[in-house]
Amino acid sequence: MQALHTAATGMAAQELNVQVISNNIANLRTTGFKKQTAAFQDLIYEHVRRVGAQASDQGTIVPVGVDIGGGVKTVGTPRSMTQGTLSQTGNDLDLAISGEGFFKILMPDGTFQYTRDGTFQMDNQGRVVTAQGNPVQPTISIPNNASGLAVNEQGQVSVTLPGSSTSAVQGQIGVTRFINKAGLQPVGNNQFVETPSSGPPQDGTANSEGYGKVTQGSLEQANVDVVSEMSDLIAAQRAYEMNAKVISAADQMMQSTTALFR
Amino acid sequence: MQNALLIGLSRQMTLERQMDVIANNVANANTNGFKADHSLFEEFLNSNAREDNFIASDRRVSYVQDRGTFRDVGQGPMEPTNNPLDMAIDGNAFFAVQANGGERYTRDGKFSLNSTGQLVTSDGNLVLGTGGPITFQPTDHDINVAPDGTVTVLEGTAKTDSIRGKIRMAAFDDAAKLTKLGANLYDVGSATPQAITRSTVRQGYIEKSNVNSVGEMSRMVEVMRSYTAIANLLQQQSDLHKSAIEKLADVPA
Repeated sequence: MQALHTAATGMAAQELNVQVISNNIANLRTTGFKKQTAAFQDLIYEHVRRVGAQASDQGTIVPVGVDIGGGVKTVGTPRSMTQGTLSQTGNDLDLAISGEGFFKILMPDGTFQYTRDGTFQMDNQGRVVTAQGNPVQPTISIPNNASGLAVNEQGQVSVTLPGSSTSAVQGQIGVTRFINKAGLQPVGNNQFVETPSSGPPQDGTANSEGYGKVTQGSLEQANVDVVSEMSDLIAAQRAYEMNAKVISAADQMMQSTTALFR
Repeated sequence: MQNALLIGLSRQMTLERQMDVIANNVANANTNGFKADHSLFEEFLNSNAREDNFIASDRRVSYVQDRGTFRDVGQGPMEPTNNPLDMAIDGNAFFAVQANGGERYTRDGKFSLNSTGQLVTSDGNLVLGTGGPITFQPTDHDINVAPDGTVTVLEGTAKTDSIRGKIRMAAFDDAAKLTKLGANLYDVGSATPQAITRSTVRQGYIEKSNVNSVGEMSRMVEVMRSYTAIANLLQQQSDLHKSAIEKLADVPA
C-alpha cells in the first residue's frame, strides 16, 4: 500500500521541520543570527489514468486523470536575511549594520569569513578582533593609550591620542555584500563563507551605494520571531501526528485484508 | 455468489487508491502552494458478463472504479514572512517558471536569487517575467513588488525606483486539469494561458498548502472503516460459501 510510504515521507519531512525550528529557537538570543525555514515540495506523481487520453472509441477524452502522489521531500532550508532589531549595549566596540552587508573577518588560514555579529574586542596588539580573536578587515590597530574611540556610519574608526585635542582616523571597517546573501554557507560562530550560489563578495563602504550603515554601541539581534516559531512548531507537530495516523490507518486496512480467510 | 466478492474487491481497490491520495495530501500539509487532490468514483457496469437473451435476463453487475482525482484549486492561507523575495498570488493565477523541459507553472512563491542576481525558485529554476527572467544588479536594495507584479528597486545611491521587470502570471480556464509534475510544478499541456483579471501578487507572503486537515482525517477514517467493512463482508461471504459446501456435501453415511 503506497499510503504507508507516502505518510513516512511526511513524517520525515516534519521531523526535519522541527529540527530547523528548534535551531531557530535555540539561537533566539544569538547576535546577528538569521533564521531558516524548511521548504518542501511534492514528489513525482504516478499517472494511473492520464488526463487528456482517449477514453472511448467515440473520441471522448479523459476529463480528469487519476494522479497518485508519492509524498513530500525537503527542497531546502532557505535563510531569511531580514534585518534584526538593534539593541543598545553602550559598548564602544559593539557594532551593528543596519541594511545590506557583512563584516569581513580574516581567518588564521588566510581565508575570509563574513558575519553580522559585531561583538568586537581589542587584542593584545590593539587590533579590532571578533570574539574568536580574528581581525576585522581592513585591519585596524588602536594605540593602547588612545581614548574616545568612535566609529561613524561609514565605519571610520577614530580615536583621540594623548597630547592631542582632536581625534584622528585610525582606519575604516569594511562592509561586504553578496548578490545572493541567502546563498552563503553558515560555518558556525555566527560566520558565513562564500559559495558559488552566493556570488563573489563585493567590498564597499558602509552607508553608500546601498550598503548598510554601521551603528556604534549596538548589536543586531537574531531575526527570529518567537511567536511565529512556536506556531510553526505546533503546526509541524500536528502534521507529524496526522502522518502517523495515516500510517496506522493504512496498517489497519492491510491488517483487515491479511486477517481474511483464516 | 462470486460477484459479491468481486464487487467488494473493486471497491477495496478504489479505497486503497483514495487512501494513497489522502496520504499524499497529509504528507504535503506543509508544502508551500500545494493544492489538495480528491478521488472521484464511478459505477462501472460490466457489460461482457451479462446475457439479456434469457426470459429473465441476468441482473447487471456494477463495480466501482476511480474516475479521476480532482484538484481543490482553492486559495491556501497566506503566511507573512517579511522576506521581500517571498511572493504569493491572491487569485487563480500561477507563476511562470523556466524548468527542465520547458515552461512550467507553480504557486510556490518561495523565491531567492542565484549568483548572477536572477530570481529563481527553491530548485534554481528561473522565475519568468513578462520580458524574460528578472535580474537584479549587485547594488540593488529595497526590492518592491507591486500587486500587478512589477518589480522595482532602489539602485545604489539613487533615490528613484528602477524597474527590474514584471512577474508573469498565467491563469487557465480549468486549473484543475493541469498535470502535477512534482516539485510544486504543473504542466499545462496544450492549454494556453489566459489574461489575468483578478490575480495579484502579495510580496512578503507565502501561500501555504490548502490541505484541510480535519477534512482529510475524517475522510481517512471513512476510508478505513469502509475498507474494513468490506473485508468483513468478504469474510461473511466466504463463510457462507464454506458452510453451504459443507452442508450440501454432507451425505449421510
